[in-house]
Amino acid sequence: MSAASTRRRFLAAAAAGSTLTGWLGRLAAATDDHPPAKSCILLWMSGGPSHLDTFDLKPQAPDHIRGEFRPIDTTVPGIQISEHFPQLARLMQHAAILRSMSTVESDHQLATYHLHTGYQQRAGGVSFPSLGSMVARELGERDVPLPNFVCIGAGPRHATRAGFLGPDFQPLDVTDPARGVDFIEPLTTPNQFLRQYDLLTHLETSFQERYRAEAARAHSATLSRAVRLMTSEQKRAFDLSQEPEAVRDRYGRGAFGQGCLMARRLIEAGVRCVEVLMGDGVAWDTHRDNFPRTRALSAEVDVGMAALIEDLQQRGRLDSTLVVWMGEFGRSPQTTSDGGRNHWAKAWSTVLAGGGIRGGQVVGRTDRDAAEVLDRPISVTDFLGTICTILGIDYTRENRAPGVERPIPIVDTTKEVRLLTELL
Amino acid sequence: MPRVWAVMGLLLFCRVAASSGGEEPSWAELIDGHIQARLDAAGVPRAPVADDAEFLRRVSLDVHGVVPSAAETARFLDSPDPDKRSRWIEQLLADARFGEHLADEWRRRLISPLANENRMQSDRFAAWLAERFNSHAAWDRIVFELLTAEGTMEQNPAVTYLIEGRNPLGVTDLTDLTSRYFLGVRLNCAQCHDHPFVAWTRQDYWGMAAFFAQIQTPGRPKLVHQVGVRDDPRMTLAVLAGQDMIEGFLHQPPTFLGGERLPEGETGVYRRALAHWMTSPENPYFARAAVNRTWWKLFGRGLVQPVDDMHSANPPSHPELLDALARRFIASGFDLRALYRGILNSRTYQQTSRPGEQPDREAELFARMPIKVLTAEQLYDSLVRVLGPPARAKEVNARLGARHEFTQFFADSGDPDPTRYERGIPHLLRLMNSPQFGERNVAALVAQAASPGRSADEVVDELFLAILSRRPTESERELVRKHLSQEGAARPGAYQELAWALLMSSEFSLNH
Repeated sequence: MSAASTRRRFLAAAAAGSTLTGWLGRLAAATDDHPPAKSCILLWMSGGPSHLDTFDLKPQAPDHIRGEFRPIDTTVPGIQISEHFPQLARLMQHAAILRSMSTVESDHQLATYHLHTGYQQRAGGVSFPSLGSMVARELGERDVPLPNFVCIGAGPRHATRAGFLGPDFQPLDVTDPARGVDFIEPLTTPNQFLRQYDLLTHLETSFQERYRAEAARAHSATLSRAVRLMTSEQKRAFDLSQEPEAVRDRYGRGAFGQGCLMARRLIEAGVRCVEVLMGDGVAWDTHRDNFPRTRALSAEVDVGMAALIEDLQQRGRLDSTLVVWMGEFGRSPQTTSDGGRNHWAKAWSTVLAGGGIRGGQVVGRTDRDAAEVLDRPISVTDFLGTICTILGIDYTRENRAPGVERPIPIVDTTKEVRLLTELL
Repeated sequence: MPRVWAVMGLLLFCRVAASSGGEEPSWAELIDGHIQARLDAAGVPRAPVADDAEFLRRVSLDVHGVVPSAAETARFLDSPDPDKRSRWIEQLLADARFGEHLADEWRRRLISPLANENRMQSDRFAAWLAERFNSHAAWDRIVFELLTAEGTMEQNPAVTYLIEGRNPLGVTDLTDLTSRYFLGVRLNCAQCHDHPFVAWTRQDYWGMAAFFAQIQTPGRPKLVHQVGVRDDPRMTLAVLAGQDMIEGFLHQPPTFLGGERLPEGETGVYRRALAHWMTSPENPYFARAAVNRTWWKLFGRGLVQPVDDMHSANPPSHPELLDALARRFIASGFDLRALYRGILNSRTYQQTSRPGEQPDREAELFARMPIKVLTAEQLYDSLVRVLGPPARAKEVNARLGARHEFTQFFADSGDPDPTRYERGIPHLLRLMNSPQFGERNVAALVAQAASPGRSADEVVDELFLAILSRRPTESERELVRKHLSQEGAARPGAYQELAWALLMSSEFSLNH
């Protein structure tokens, strides 16, 4: 056994014990043989994919639970996934399946918010930043033309905002990857635009001299960032027509595949976090016809996600780009009379790939019916704390929200945070 | 603690009353007296009174949620009437826009951001609120009606708060929202633990929560959409806790904040008892919360700050003033117009927002007016006032109505600080480059401003009046002249560039 791996095991064992050693574990991850990842691509599966029909198949379960799909082998001996992921099966060595997600919200909106921000949404309470905004804040370079967080696709806007982190970390939304960024071209000729913008900057300066207001400063700053984006070279990252047809085909021509391709282009252009939202808020919500729908969605994910992982690898970016596949919860083991599955938050799966993690493993285990977690339950805070650590972010760092007395840590450290040290 | 403030307030009130010759001071005198006293003590000078243009735009946005028209502005600026400000205030308060704007504000607060997005319900609720405000219903009455409403949202829009003001675990959210918005206190932390700095305990929280138990539909929270709100006397917190997972649950009988229990054996409808207690003139929180919320909305900062965190360890910046205003508000019969009228006529409201030597101290002590950000509704309504109804844009799905879509896109989440600018790149790109309020509308505005016979200076004046509700300063006039003459004589294109720049300016997006 090598010294490094002995040390890692020691740290992993210690990190499971207390917060102090948890901190040591993170330090080790940051300084040891894993240089921290620099960017994150979140593939958001709106509606909650069925874990039993994707990454946690239960061939031994009774018919009405097992469902229609069969498991297939992957490049990692002993790890099986759905037969509708043949491309991903070839890339399993880069990925880790977390089969013991166990969370508390089973309403779409509340769970989507909880999984994105790490905090539960309360009416009238603090509005918390999403993972993407936090990554943008922690890892983003200031003073660059592209925003540090981009959301691609239609989906749950309420959960992806910057919350109290404010306008600098608000995502740029691309509703349709084929269309690119809405309103990025001026209505007038470029010359006329620059003339009127020049006049505007003079007016801004004169107002700011008279009133010196923080709100005016923020407005002007956002305005100039928007104009900088409009006039930048880097905005070509949003233009998929720059890619060869063969590459566009390889990712799949649907909105999800093209979103994955745009995500790769954006990461290469320096964007720190890209979220690709699949399915307009509802696709995976298979209360009826679970099997045909999950089959079709899986095929789209298989092509797009596999192309993304392979492309990142071929371009030397996989180790510095963490790819996260997740929805807001899993689905019930029992199938309904309409051939559907209902919401299930007690036990479900997510997948991490790249980002320098130790791939080719499964974390956690559920029972015969994938109904309960038997081993290594993973809470929202465990999950987000681990993602932060992989990305080289100190998740205990505290932010101040306006009007709130208490400091707010990136991940809620009032709850126990048990890092998935086996990945680090 | 509230009692201590009351006593201090009374002492000071007597002094103020005595100093003005025994006659009761007007609301405005009361406000200006208290604010001035603190400024004198701190040695911070007061900002000068705002000029007419600053005042007119500010008060129109605050009361009607929209900028004044170019014609109204010119008339107001040119009027020699010494009482024109108070007359304008009366005109604003008498108009139906008063209630409509207030309804826009309260709808955002009272319908949870988690509610099913149903524009019809939300609009019906806003229309109900606007009608109540405009028919001079008193604030205690409106809140009473909100808390005791029955039936479905289709039958009775007032019930929307009890249905859409909550997430699926209704009892906890109704407890939070009711205490936050109507009583000005944050109980939510006490759901799970006693508050570290504040007197609120879990007993307080669950005692209040118990009032909402009877209207819950445990196990099937969304059932309330079909059956409506009705009271089931068998429903208690304990029953709910047995059927739903409620975090931090603590069994408590219905208990008013402060510890007074609902009398044993009281069999009536719990929330009716709560509504009576809340809206009573003796309630220590209700009137103060309304005054502080109104002050916060108009000044961008509460007398107690944060606006909904009134407790003994977080005293008001001007305790006597808050007390005196609350007492007047009660004596007026919880008349919101009287409260608005009083504040709007004060010098404190009418002073300029231009900073002096000590900007931070000035903001804390209300030595000058803070600068607020236009809400999504104010921004939309002002754009429509200046540019007319929006054109179609292929990127915008306005199936549910252009105003609804626009305000959803631009809205800030939660209960945003009125002075904080939260918008990002997508919002600015849309403002700059969307054809919704684009070339066609701007060209029409310019055509109107550049009517035949007007000189270039007059056209520029007209555009400033229409968009920024003022005439240009000398240096701005110089700047614009230079711009217009860039390519020789004034071109229509150059006026459009000017109009665009004025619309994109901080000044247009802010209320200064």
